[in-house]
Amino acid sequence: MQLFWLSVGFGFVTASVLAIAAVGLSLQFGITNYVNFAYGDFMALGGFFTYVLNSQVLHINIWIALTMGSLGMGVLAVIINRLILGPFARRFSKSHYVLIVTFGLSLIMLNVEYSIWGAQVRFFNMPISAALHIGPLLLTRNQLIVMAVAVVLMVAVHTMLKTTRLGKSMRAMSDNTTLAMTSGIDTKRITTITWFLSGTLAGVAGTVLGISEGNLTPASGELFLFVIFAAVIVGGVGSIYGAMAGAILIGLATEISAAFINPSYKLDIAFVILIVTLLIRPSGLFARPGTA
Amino acid sequence: MVYYVFTLVFFLFDYFILAMGLNIQYGETGILNFAYIGFVAIGAYFTGVFSLPSSLNTGQHYILGLGLPFPINLLLGGLAAMCFALFVALITLRRLRTDYLAIVLISLSLVLYDFCNNYVSLFNGADGLYNVPEPFAKSLGLTVNSFIPFFACVTAVVSLLMWFVMSRVTRAPMGRTFRAIRDDHVVAAALGKNVFWMQLKSMLIGSFYAGIGGGLLIQFGGSFNPTAWLPGETFVVFAVLIVGGAGNNIGMFVGALLVETLLVHLPAFLPEIPGHPGLIEYFDLALVGIVLMAMLWFRPQGVVPERLRRAASFGVDQRRAEKPGSMGETSIPA
Repeated sequence: MQLFWLSVGFGFVTASVLAIAAVGLSLQFGITNYVNFAYGDFMALGGFFTYVLNSQVLHINIWIALTMGSLGMGVLAVIINRLILGPFARRFSKSHYVLIVTFGLSLIMLNVEYSIWGAQVRFFNMPISAALHIGPLLLTRNQLIVMAVAVVLMVAVHTMLKTTRLGKSMRAMSDNTTLAMTSGIDTKRITTITWFLSGTLAGVAGTVLGISEGNLTPASGELFLFVIFAAVIVGGVGSIYGAMAGAILIGLATEISAAFINPSYKLDIAFVILIVTLLIRPSGLFARPGTA
Repeated sequence: MVYYVFTLVFFLFDYFILAMGLNIQYGETGILNFAYIGFVAIGAYFTGVFSLPSSLNTGQHYILGLGLPFPINLLLGGLAAMCFALFVALITLRRLRTDYLAIVLISLSLVLYDFCNNYVSLFNGADGLYNVPEPFAKSLGLTVNSFIPFFACVTAVVSLLMWFVMSRVTRAPMGRTFRAIRDDHVVAAALGKNVFWMQLKSMLIGSFYAGIGGGLLIQFGGSFNPTAWLPGETFVVFAVLIVGGAGNNIGMFVGALLVETLLVHLPAFLPEIPGHPGLIEYFDLALVGIVLMAMLWFRPQGVVPERLRRAASFGVDQRRAEKPGSMGETSIPA
């Protein structure tokens, strides 16, 4: 039973990482209408930006480095969209060209990360904290901060989407880009802002993934990508709240299953859930009508 | 020196086969199969375990271990990849459109990688299979040095045979139906074509080619482990296809020559930069991505563009000739 509660605690931490990543991916997918297969490498690169600030150059506190590194990743995402993805998306009307380009971008980014930081495992420079008992759960202070970051970001995204003018414009664009454009929404500006938010969230997710797993390599985003996809599809593609719910479901399912089966296969559980969802309810658990 | 040349020849013809398989799936039918290298791996592993003797003698852990002779194990490896494709296609093809299919397939390739890496008793886990018997080595008395030129020639013969079959398939009415589905599957369905059934056929044919290509890989090198089929490897096959020219079998050969032989394998013979292990390989793979993007931007139809097929088109020729880009793609001027 103790093992079960321990894995529930880990499940919430994984769910937090997943939720941040899945919302970042969904925001961008909703606006631009193509999937970014380089998202895992966005995460890893964001994590490495934080690593450089935290352990290599300035030696600043991990949480300040996290903020700065993620914002840096957001800026890079805007640049990548302006120079590469945006032009390709405008030029080719069929989406599979852009998908191949994002796939290629993933290969480029992964190998650039390898050539700069090598294949060895990196660690963040952060204080080791004692575990705290919270009810039946056992969590470290860093894990609690990761969860708090996730909750704050989710509330912030929700507030932005529901109350601000920017959020309304984003939802309008996500429903129908042409209609949004004719209503006077500056779609180019919204796209840029969306890429910035998506890149920033990827950076945060990559860093907190590194914190919760305890290490960081250029490939750490690569394998995590399909867990994010599982969360996004289970929740319903294009739905932000579905992505949050899918993240909690997948996060808890993978970690709790690790208490009962060989933990090497815990990620495969996410894939099984993905396939079962596709067989039973292909549009996802919380799909908006008419999107999938 | 001869050794290097024939290694390059082998990879040229092997990737010719792999690219033809992906070409019928993506180039002809429009299925964006991002799990392609997974099917290659299935073919390689099964070819390996069909030809290796029972696992008790070798110190490795794997299933089967039948000790079958060369062409039979290769064919069975191809069929194993086909069976896997049938399973995948039945779950995914009917339900998902392009980008969701791509998501599920790339996830499949990652999870297959993760599973084979961890589940040791299937294909020896992260160590992979090794000491796979070299075909004909005993009966012809081949040494390590003479095996490489010999097997490169075997691969060339196999690939030409498979090219002959594939050129028939793509010219046949079935090939025309594939292209109709690629260009607009709604129109194809409206003309009474069973889109799912045709896509399934295309998946199966392509996966057979993937399996054969993978089987030849393991027979050539004698070993195969999970690092040989990271998801990035799928991208190399896509690069071969795009550079060569999607929808054209001859283009696959040109693509294999330009990308696989010149870009991927030739730099592997460059000396290592001291103190930076693997740096050349990393640059090289990044370069493959950059070349593909540049190719898509400046010449999306590839080095050898898809031919116009006159017999199949009434009045379509003129319209398509005006449009730049392969695959009936319209480019919107900025």
